Amino acid sequence: MTDIKIWKHFNRESLYECYQCARCTGSCPAMEVAPAFGPRETILKCLGLGHERVVEDERVWLCCTCNVCEDRCPQKIPICDLLVALRNSAARRGNIPGRLAMAVELLAKTGRSMIVHQLDGMRAHHGLAPLPAAPVDELRKILRKAGLQQVIEF
Amino acid sequence: MRYAIFLGCAIPIKYPGFEAVTRLVCERLGIELVDLPFSCCPPSTSLKLVHYDSWLALAARNICLAEEQGLDILTLCSGCVNTLKEANHVLKQNEGKRRRINRILEDSNHCFQGSVNVTHILDVLYQDSVVEKIIKEKVRDVPLRIGCHYGCHYFRPPKVMYPNELSDAESYVPVRMDHLLSIIGVEPIEYSRKFLCCGSPLGANIDLEAGYAITRQKLGYIQERDIQAVSVICPSCFEQFDMGQIVLAKKSKDRIKTPIFYLTQLIGLAFGLSPKDVGLDVHRVKARKLLEETSIGW
Repeated sequence: MTDIKIWKHFNRESLYECYQCARCTGSCPAMEVAPAFGPRETILKCLGLGHERVVEDERVWLCCTCNVCEDRCPQKIPICDLLVALRNSAARRGNIPGRLAMAVELLAKTGRSMIVHQLDGMRAHHGLAPLPAAPVDELRKILRKAGLQQVIEF
Repeated sequence: MRYAIFLGCAIPIKYPGFEAVTRLVCERLGIELVDLPFSCCPPSTSLKLVHYDSWLALAARNICLAEEQGLDILTLCSGCVNTLKEANHVLKQNEGKRRRINRILEDSNHCFQGSVNVTHILDVLYQDSVVEKIIKEKVRDVPLRIGCHYGCHYFRPPKVMYPNELSDAESYVPVRMDHLLSIIGVEPIEYSRKFLCCGSPLGANIDLEAGYAITRQKLGYIQERDIQAVSVICPSCFEQFDMGQIVLAKKSKDRIKTPIFYLTQLIGLAFGLSPKDVGLDVHRVKARKLLEETSIGW
């Protein structure tokens, strides 16, 4: 599989704006509970070792996507764009957590992020009509044209 | 006032009670809701991380459905509003991306124009004209001490979610839920690290235990104050706190003690609906004892 052009999604020059103050990492909830890189180390690794070393590591996925890092950054580096681009690149190389891969496959196959089970009974309990099925054929056509099969088979 | 209602996935599938009470509350407030054949939003916590273009294309399709009816989109979930607002923002600003996405959508006869806005139920209820109606429709107070949890994706990144309301530090501190709840007799209580994540995306994507570790932290900050219940505006945050307390109690003998409410359930109670009418009977952390101690009862 071909990699994505990561610096098209995030201006590489912005990495040099970082003076490693670690406000981002100090406010990162994932850092407190898991062996995540945190944004500071992610940026440092991209600069020092190249982004390949980051996207090949499964720890790149230890993130809440809460965006607090970008909010706190005194240099206003668009950290979230960097993290999205890095994970897109990781996924393209087959580095994608099992739970997340299953969720995306479900989305591509059913048009919904959750498994629909015993749904009508639950909805009827609250006086609601059954949920209409998602237009799966149309959605799959869009996802194929967008290129999702480069990452996940569906 | 007329909106295309965007239910998302978690609400109609896991928590249809939130949908039901929101429809009832909107009807009382004269807000007309139109159902369209929307799909998953899709989440900025899953598909966007894996394949950005697929994420943007599906979001664009959802926005197009509303554009074709000339309606703004009303979401009920912090995740959905994040995806649809950001996609709308990106596609309006970036001509290259708009052209690329419209080429993907042309086979299904959609074309993104950039003609509608995306909003969240909290922001709709917060409008002056709606607040006036809430005051008129209110038949009783909801006398509870409540901590609000907004959900990260409701307001971050602020430059996309609330570009016109940024502070000097280019940040945004949400207050609308606290203000709105004080109208219906709730006493909103501040607590430490109010804007800490609930832990849901980390748990859902990669590490369930680590996700619940954040939830436990956050519940700790809430429970060290004199807070009787929590109000949320996102089904994922709701599940993380409601189901999370059951899971954490099994694992570490934490006490199950903080009922979680979805915002419109509290508004529904103030409008005179019963706890069962607003769907509180299916919550894992039971609110019965708490409400029986108040004038609302069960």
